[in-house]
Amino acid sequence: MTATYVYGLVPADAELPDDLVGLGPSGSVSVVAHEGVAAVVGDVPTDRPIGTRDDLVAHESVVDRIAAVTTVLPMRFPAVIEDSSVVEELLAPHHETFARGLEALEGTVQYTLKARYDTDVLLQEILEEDAGARELQERIRGKDSDAAYYDRVKLGELIVKALEKRREVDATDIVERIGEVAEAVSTTTPTEPEEVVNAAFLVRRDAAEEFENEVEELGGDTHEWLRLRLLGPLAPYDFVPRGEE
Amino acid sequence: MTVATQTQGGGYVDRGGGGGSSGLADVVELILDKGLVIDVFVRVSLVGIELLTIDARVVVASVDTFLRFAEATNRLDLYGEDKGGKDLAELTQGVTEGAAKGKTAGALDAAVDKVEEFLGGNRDSEDDEDRREPVRRKPRPRTRERER
Repeated sequence: MTATYVYGLVPADAELPDDLVGLGPSGSVSVVAHEGVAAVVGDVPTDRPIGTRDDLVAHESVVDRIAAVTTVLPMRFPAVIEDSSVVEELLAPHHETFARGLEALEGTVQYTLKARYDTDVLLQEILEEDAGARELQERIRGKDSDAAYYDRVKLGELIVKALEKRREVDATDIVERIGEVAEAVSTTTPTEPEEVVNAAFLVRRDAAEEFENEVEELGGDTHEWLRLRLLGPLAPYDFVPRGEE
Repeated sequence: MTVATQTQGGGYVDRGGGGGSSGLADVVELILDKGLVIDVFVRVSLVGIELLTIDARVVVASVDTFLRFAEATNRLDLYGEDKGGKDLAELTQGVTEGAAKGKTAGALDAAVDKVEEFLGGNRDSEDDEDRREPVRRKPRPRTRERER
């Protein structure tokens, strides 16, 4: 079989940037259209497994550069299909889902905001407020790490709990504040104690600047204790219709 | 579209754009974890990906996490002792500058490191500690309070 790589789906009448570079040997990116929905496709390397850093970046780059100019439903990496099946197995049977998905996301882009505590600032704050933590810290001081093992675990646990408690308040604050400019929000549960927010915001393209300014202002207000990282504009990865997982 | 990879206009927000200007960790989180999945896609052989997705999802407050924070707390304290009567601002600032954030690299970063070793790639600069602002002594304002 000949395989085709699918980057995403766009309205059939969409104009794509003409210098997109795909992950295949030819690097070319083209579209296959069917009744108003088009698949953005390219060739696939046949002499090696895919999944290198360059492959990942190429996928993201194609999809996000399209997102910058038009609505796109991004595929999850990797999306490979038989050449001959693009219309009959992908576009035709799922036409309804794709068309509705594109319509729902029309005119929008995604921004992903990640916020982390400045750990040292927070640790200092927790120590100041929590006598129990200070006492444990006192007890650990000067002891070798084996002797103080349980106290160390206890102190760490106490700190982690305190961080999580603060996060509940701060995360809600941040998402509410920034979310005012967004159409929808999708939050991901933090995986680390110092992580405060990992959230995707669906933003109207014409409100993108306002959104960015809002985040910048938040950054200014919180820079003493929070590190913000903003990705975007991106394809609406977090807002695609639920496929079959 | 060209979105600057670094902070524009001297702001406090670290920016990563679309179109290939994000760090690898960001890319991985987006395109491996999110996006449309349809059952017609064929299985293809992949490099490193399985490993990475598994590692990236290792979460939880484990004993290791607790020890990491105990260590970080201890570090603050030791610094204070060495220097003697420094005030809080100097203390925190010193620690901020002195402490390599590498110790607190996340699970995802670790996973990316691992895969990059495997792929022989270079790390993107996901962190940029150089631009960190010195902290000040006043308690951090909550965004909510600030708004009122």
